[in-house]
Amino acid sequence: MAKLFMKGNEAVGEAAVRGGIRFFAGYPITPQSELPEYLSWRLPEVCGTFIQAESEVAAINMVYGAAATGARAMTGSSSPGISLKSEGISYLSAAELPAVIINVQRGGPGLGSIQPAQQDYLQATKAPGHGGFRMMVFAPNSIQEAVDLVYEAPEYADRDRSPVLVLMDGCLGTMMDEVELPPFKELPETICKPWTVGYDGTTRSGHLITPIYPEAGLEGKNKLAVARTKRWEENDVQVEEFMLDDAEWVIVAYGIASRVAKQAILNLRNKGVKVGMIRPITLFPFPKKSIAELDYSQVKGLIDIEMSIPALMREDIELQVLGRAPVYEYGRSGGVLLDDDSTEAAIWKIIEEASSNG
Amino acid sequence: MRFTLLVGGSGGQGGMSMGMTLAESAVKGGKHASFMPLYGPEQRGGAAKCTVIISDEPIISPLPLKTDGLIAMNEASYKKYIKELRPGGLLVRNSSRSTSAIKRDDIRVLEIPADDIAVELGSSKIAGIVLIGAMLGFSNMMDPKMLMDSLEEKFESKGDAIVDLNRRALYKGVELGTKAAAG
Repeated sequence: MAKLFMKGNEAVGEAAVRGGIRFFAGYPITPQSELPEYLSWRLPEVCGTFIQAESEVAAINMVYGAAATGARAMTGSSSPGISLKSEGISYLSAAELPAVIINVQRGGPGLGSIQPAQQDYLQATKAPGHGGFRMMVFAPNSIQEAVDLVYEAPEYADRDRSPVLVLMDGCLGTMMDEVELPPFKELPETICKPWTVGYDGTTRSGHLITPIYPEAGLEGKNKLAVARTKRWEENDVQVEEFMLDDAEWVIVAYGIASRVAKQAILNLRNKGVKVGMIRPITLFPFPKKSIAELDYSQVKGLIDIEMSIPALMREDIELQVLGRAPVYEYGRSGGVLLDDDSTEAAIWKIIEEASSNG
Repeated sequence: MRFTLLVGGSGGQGGMSMGMTLAESAVKGGKHASFMPLYGPEQRGGAAKCTVIISDEPIISPLPLKTDGLIAMNEASYKKYIKELRPGGLLVRNSSRSTSAIKRDDIRVLEIPADDIAVELGSSKIAGIVLIGAMLGFSNMMDPKMLMDSLEEKFESKGDAIVDLNRRALYKGVELGTKAAAG
């Protein structure tokens, strides 16, 4: 298939359409706005619905409504906008509604900056809203991978009847790169599913979609969610392991940071430094095993590299390392970007200082 | 061969679309390329830059610290981005809009009065094409024909006169760049 040269946000929009998304409600925010802009003309072409809502809160609740009817629904935003949507995401989870949510992260906290960052890791993986629910979180590191993950995201959402988050960053959203688009998925004749509201073509369904349950019922739902999380951890972890075989130093990085880290690793390997990388592709479920099962007689340390200060993934890493090796971090933040040379120098410095102390 | 280029200008000057067209034409020509824009909230004015990487190998990181080339479209972007050019790097500066003394002596400099050349050729809008042609001639980063093919496709619907204007602008720049590279 011919390679196209596409902007990340637009490629993700096309991948969503090809993956079966037929409803999008959103509100513009940099650096994500090309996504709704693209879908505003693209969705009508495939008989889909695009709504520019009056606010982020309205958009996520429109997604709730569309998902309740069985429509494959999506919304997108950037960091502060995702905060606004968090109540709705919690409701989606409570009502067991599938939806795809895209976060093209920018600097924070607060209104932050409009430049790229990776400062929403904790929000994405720990508390995307109130009530202690979890979502699968995918973190692509290229436009191609973003396309592939967004294309498959509706399947996970439907399978689990749960919202799914694709965590990008402003670099991936606004940059342009080569991409191959997947073919259009064949869609079922009706959007109705056994649990959806509305008329399914034969009988009028009496299903009630609700985020409200009596206490005992709610506790039961909480327990089911725990079982689902366990299934994710057993079956759905995606991770890239890079040059780990002889690695004495292991970088852990996701998304755009992993691209910068990989270049730094290749440069350091040329200088004889034995460094490798673990790259979570699913941030939740987190690739615990990859870190827990490293050879700690060989590994001298792990370095968490993120476009975030502090490095937010660090606690998840430390929970797997369990003191068997020191964990370090390097990052830029607030919309200041990581770059190859500075990252290489930072890794070098960490290794050198650790070696002279040890 | 791998070349990283920073294009800096003010919003609305066309630097972004120029960088984008350059990267796109490289991909169409069978090379690997990435385009990474960075701009403020302003639609017009304000500083805007983009980093274009063109390479024979797949691009691992799109975020270099220093670039091999810098096109400075105005004084503000010259001052802001000159430090991002690596030692030995190539500066193509729009001397119609940027005239301050160049303090670095570890770079190669090509001054192009792009706005004046563009007006002479028939439109002030094509100053950017002159500058990019100059960089292509100065650097050998890519065969100018690849870019011309893309420009032709892009402006085909606007008629032969516009395509021809772009061609003359591009190759005027290439000529000046090649001459400077040889000298």
